[in-house]
Amino acid sequence: MTTTRRRFLRSGWKLGGTILTAAAGWTTYESLRPLVGSATGATVELGTPSNYAPGTATYVSAARLFVANTGSFLYAMSQKCPHLGCRVPFCESSGQFECPCHGSKYNIGGEWIEGPAPRGLDRFALTLDSKTGTLSADTSTVIVGPPRGAKQFVTPAKGPSCIPKA
Amino acid sequence: MADVQTPPAPGDGSDGSETPTRDALEPGEAFAPGTGLAARIERSNAWRSLFRHPNIDTPRGRALQSFSNFFLHLYPVKIPARVLRMRYSFRLGFIVTVLFFILVLTGVYLMFFYTPAVGSAYGDMQHLRTGVGFGQLVRNVHRWSAHLMVLAVFLHMMRTFFAGAYKKPREFNWVIGVVLLLLTLLLSFTGYLLPWDQLSYWAVTVGTNLVQYVPFLGHSLTKLLIGGDTLGQATLLRFYALHVAVLPLLVVLTICIHIWRVRKDGFAVPRLSVGETTSAGTFEEEATAVPSRVPSNAPKDLYGARTRVLGVVDRESITAEERAVDDTVFTWPHLLVRHAVVALGVCATVLVLGVAFVAPLRGLANPNLTPEPAKAPWYFAGLQELLSHFDPLVAGLLVPAGAVLVLVLLPYIDRNPSTLARNRKVAIVVFSSLMLIAVVLTVIGTFFRGPGWRFVVPWTHWYVEL
Ligand code: HEM
Ligand code: FES
Repeated sequence: MTTTRRRFLRSGWKLGGTILTAAAGWTTYESLRPLVGSATGATVELGTPSNYAPGTATYVSAARLFVANTGSFLYAMSQKCPHLGCRVPFCESSGQFECPCHGSKYNIGGEWIEGPAPRGLDRFALTLDSKTGTLSADTSTVIVGPPRGAKQFVTPAKGPSCIPKA
Repeated sequence: MADVQTPPAPGDGSDGSETPTRDALEPGEAFAPGTGLAARIERSNAWRSLFRHPNIDTPRGRALQSFSNFFLHLYPVKIPARVLRMRYSFRLGFIVTVLFFILVLTGVYLMFFYTPAVGSAYGDMQHLRTGVGFGQLVRNVHRWSAHLMVLAVFLHMMRTFFAGAYKKPREFNWVIGVVLLLLTLLLSFTGYLLPWDQLSYWAVTVGTNLVQYVPFLGHSLTKLLIGGDTLGQATLLRFYALHVAVLPLLVVLTICIHIWRVRKDGFAVPRLSVGETTSAGTFEEEATAVPSRVPSNAPKDLYGARTRVLGVVDRESITAEERAVDDTVFTWPHLLVRHAVVALGVCATVLVLGVAFVAPLRGLANPNLTPEPAKAPWYFAGLQELLSHFDPLVAGLLVPAGAVLVLVLLPYIDRNPSTLARNRKVAIVVFSSLMLIAVVLTVIGTFFRGPGWRFVVPWTHWYVEL
């Protein structure tokens, strides 16, 4: 099999076309890819741990996250439901996170209790500065929430749910 | 084309008067006889540069007119008479096209008053309601047409299936149709976000988050789609560009290919399976009968004379059917008049809807307040319903991807050439069951779900938002 000029040119076109397509795809991706800071990404100062009483979840609007104190642990928790992205408010009366969209519920530690969500609430890295004694959450890295099986913080609902009975 | 010698076309005689023989290519007097102003204009060079052939009411005249007119040429010159019946196709493909035109017109109007910016989009919508002439009405019409278009595309697909019109040689046009269905859904979905109110914000949040269940790529894809972690300016701009430029252009291109293929393959009329005799068919008797809806004063030679027009095109590619020449009628006026009536009907319908029902506009989008319940737009509600029962991998990826795949492959799987219902029971049962499941899921998701996705009955609690 000799390489004719025609065959050489034909493979040249194919190769060149493939490279161009890949380059076009890559540049498109690069230009459409969301950049850091579009919604989250900043490191947020959260004050001292004493701001967050055991058994409470406090909303920090600047970072759009909850700081939950399970009694034994502090978590910086994403407000975004892992199911379909609704905002999950903390229901004071039941002491659980309750998603109004499709009824997923999570305990104070963000673990899945019921509903269609595939896992518990996502978390952000939370660090305690040993010098100043203040907390800060790094919202640029999302720690994928605990799997459905996690039962570290199981507690029955304190009271009635916040989602109205239809 | 030097030698176009034709015997004089017979006068159609239907009105008793002698129609002069006017070969369209003949100059001067023969083109438009008479001395009146109209005739003089019609004879002028300028006029004839626009209209190459005069309007002569003979089969040949009509054929020439169709051939030389861009718009008429979208249609075949003659069509099988049964295509004229409403129940042949319910004109659904045409209705979709009309709705798309209405959407383009009203959409462009809306573009004059709309800025895709988080800070102003909602205000623009409010301004449209109160400060723009006919703004509210145009917005309503745009919105209801969008919903109707999704519905009409779906019904059009159902009709195509039940008529067996996806069979050889129309397999690929069915695939193009599936592409159009998907593009329509995307068009409607991207438009849904633009008002930037609570309804659109959360419906699109839920809708875009369906994508995150694609294995491995899900999260990156969702981010790419909405341009961030949550809906924001990037999302609005992306959706706007897709909605007003990318998707409409794609739809126009795809519709052109779709219609061009219909034109080449001919309208699908029932076909027998191989080896079956014509006596078993349904169209033989009808073929020779004059359709009841054809006006009785139609020129007789329409049905009597054997009018074969311009034999340059391979017969196979015009209509794949082997059929008598006699059962065809002229597209103009018979089909075109019906299309005009349908188009007017569609316009009237969306206008009445626009006057009667106001497109919803809730409060300004608030990322920190999820309304109860948050539903995806109704055409995705079935998917959302599915997701509340099954593992996300199944409901979010396998089922929808499988459904699209089955739709695309349908004409290649179902190789049975017959278009008669009794010869294709399996296909009909399987397809109908799948569609029924989809419809039931959509109805439950749309009407029977309330806060927390709890089951509600629509006659006591109404949580439907369009
Ligand atoms: C070239 C064609 C189109 C243009 C230029 C266009 C333009 C627009 C604009 C500017 C808006 C924002 C104003 C508004 O929300 O009312 C809008 C909204 C919308 N569009 Fe389109 N559109 C086009 C076609 C379509 C099509 C084909 C569909 C669906 C099949 C569609 C569905 C929608 C929907 C659902 C909305 C939200 C309607 C509303 O909230 O009132 N559009 N469109
Ligand atoms: S978005 Fe929270 S349960 Fe669906």
